[in-house]
Amino acid sequence: MKTLVIGLGNPILTDDGVGVKVAYQIQEDLCSVPHPDIDITEASVGGLHLMETMIGYDQVFIIDAIILEHQPQPGKVQRMAIDDLRNLSPTQHSASAHDTTLVTALDMAKRIGLSIPTKIVIYAIEVENVLEFSETTTSEVSKSIPFVAQKIIDELAIDYNLSIS
Amino acid sequence: MKRITIDPITRLEGHGKIEIFLNEEGEVANAYLQIPELRGFEQFCIGRPAEEMPRITNRICGVCPEAHHMAATKALDALFHVEPPSVTKKLRELFYSAFYVTDHTVHFYALGGPDFILGPDSPAAERNILGVIHKVGVEIGKKVINTRKRNHHVIQMLGGRGIHPVAGLPGGWSKAMTKEERDEIEGYAKENVEFALFSLQLFEDIVLANKTYVDLILSDAFTHKTYYMGTVDKNNQVNFYDGMIRVVGPDGKEFVKYHPEDYAKHIAEHVEPWSYLKFPYLKDIGWKGFVDGKDSGVYCATPLSRLNASDGMATPKAQEFYEKFYETLGSKKINGRYQPVHYRLATHWARLIELLYAAERMLELVQDPEITDPNVRAPITEKPDEGIGGVEAPRGTLTHHYATDENGILTKVNLIVGTTNNYAPISMSIKKAAQGLIKKGTIISDGLLNMIEMAFRNYDPCMSCATHSLPGQMPLEVVIRNVDGNEIERLSQFIN
Repeated sequence: MKTLVIGLGNPILTDDGVGVKVAYQIQEDLCSVPHPDIDITEASVGGLHLMETMIGYDQVFIIDAIILEHQPQPGKVQRMAIDDLRNLSPTQHSASAHDTTLVTALDMAKRIGLSIPTKIVIYAIEVENVLEFSETTTSEVSKSIPFVAQKIIDELAIDYNLSIS
Repeated sequence: MKRITIDPITRLEGHGKIEIFLNEEGEVANAYLQIPELRGFEQFCIGRPAEEMPRITNRICGVCPEAHHMAATKALDALFHVEPPSVTKKLRELFYSAFYVTDHTVHFYALGGPDFILGPDSPAAERNILGVIHKVGVEIGKKVINTRKRNHHVIQMLGGRGIHPVAGLPGGWSKAMTKEERDEIEGYAKENVEFALFSLQLFEDIVLANKTYVDLILSDAFTHKTYYMGTVDKNNQVNFYDGMIRVVGPDGKEFVKYHPEDYAKHIAEHVEPWSYLKFPYLKDIGWKGFVDGKDSGVYCATPLSRLNASDGMATPKAQEFYEKFYETLGSKKINGRYQPVHYRLATHWARLIELLYAAERMLELVQDPEITDPNVRAPITEKPDEGIGGVEAPRGTLTHHYATDENGILTKVNLIVGTTNNYAPISMSIKKAAQGLIKKGTIISDGLLNMIEMAFRNYDPCMSCATHSLPGQMPLEVVIRNVDGNEIERLSQFIN
């Protein structure tokens, strides 16, 4: 089984790149553990390009920032399935303003017979500042990084033998 | 006209937003495109080594990192006073042509095309690439994905990374092309030419063969007579990678031709109280407001502009379509040049002609015997001081301007991105379309709002680039407010 872990966002735009930082954290935590069937990467793409990066994988974990306009709670983590993107709220990077949403891109992939993952899990981290350039996330958002990284490693450990020292 | 004040809070929702204000008669008083401001890009860069810029600026945008990577790399050539070897220029242009193929493809099939293939008033939920597949067939979806796949592969091979390329160096490119890579890319380039011809045929069959669509393209609501900007080669033909910036007037006459490093002599920026983003205009004409014509400094920098600003295309098949484009749209030739086409919706056709040019150019470059020359770097011998680099990004002329101390540490950074050039014409197009379509008593339907969006969409503005951020996070909304400022209609770009 092939798994892709993909952190989304812009790592130089304060909280925007929190997903990328979680991916880096997972990479670091697993650096001493062989994981040949798990690819960990980062990207700043949505829509079609995001769907295309998933081709050939059985399961995908996406980590992305989300902004909720009502009662915002920076640092709060939501675990979502793909239907939540369809029914509730898109995360910051799942859609591309230049082509389409991830949901439509995945529907398209199914329609033309591409091999897309059967399981897609999205960890959406509520963020505060996506308007200023900085390599540092805000404090509440920073606290979520090791938390989400561990949650994903725990999920990966169900399918893979990951003995972490 | 009633003065409208916009609550600045609404600017900060993280959305690109078109706001349309109606007067007491229910007609359009004004329309604004608002783009949220991101802060501190220059500050972020200052104090870093200039060589980092091709890798920092390609983080600005997830849609066109290749364009920023290239403009930054060329700015470094100028900054370090180093002339790249001939093969390096060809490798860069080849890489850049592959990027153009992917970018123009996705715009037509996923964003601009659905308005025509499914109809401008088709339900929003169907007016997307999935709808195109339903209507035209599964094969078209496969063609689009395969085109993207092979060109992304080329970008990765040549650029060192799939999404955020890393190969650009001052005076060089980090790796040469192997003969195996050349053979592989040659096959892809041939497929690209076939795909571009297929796309142009599709445009003719679906759009040009439909009188309603042709009438829409030719309609006054989608017409503006402005200046046009584009990069041209020594023969005044379109070039994406290098050349002089040429600006022609609404009458087609050359207004100015200048080296990209002289941009500040020719371009100034106007400020409006309702927007954080500035409006570039031609300095020698001056800012006369959001108006068309020879006396207004508003210019446009898009695929349509590039065709209008040039004397033709540098590759044979693209040149055939260039001529067909002007003949079909009723342009007359004066002194050997076609008069500009002012129909903004014709930008979609112009984009497909550029797609064909990019594909043909890619084939020419990969077949060049020099392309596998291993000497891809020129030595740096001069101290850095200041450098300006420019390319044609798919969405308009892109300029990077850096200054450093003698150690190459950045002291100044200024970018004029494709979309920023077009901020004034986009705003004008939105207002004109809204005024043409919303009259007293008009029932505001989803289809009608989409027609207004079409005025915006043909430019494919990159709000993330304009604000130096990433795409995808700023879906477009259209909001219509009555004379009291109350919202009466709202439409989001993406409805799943």
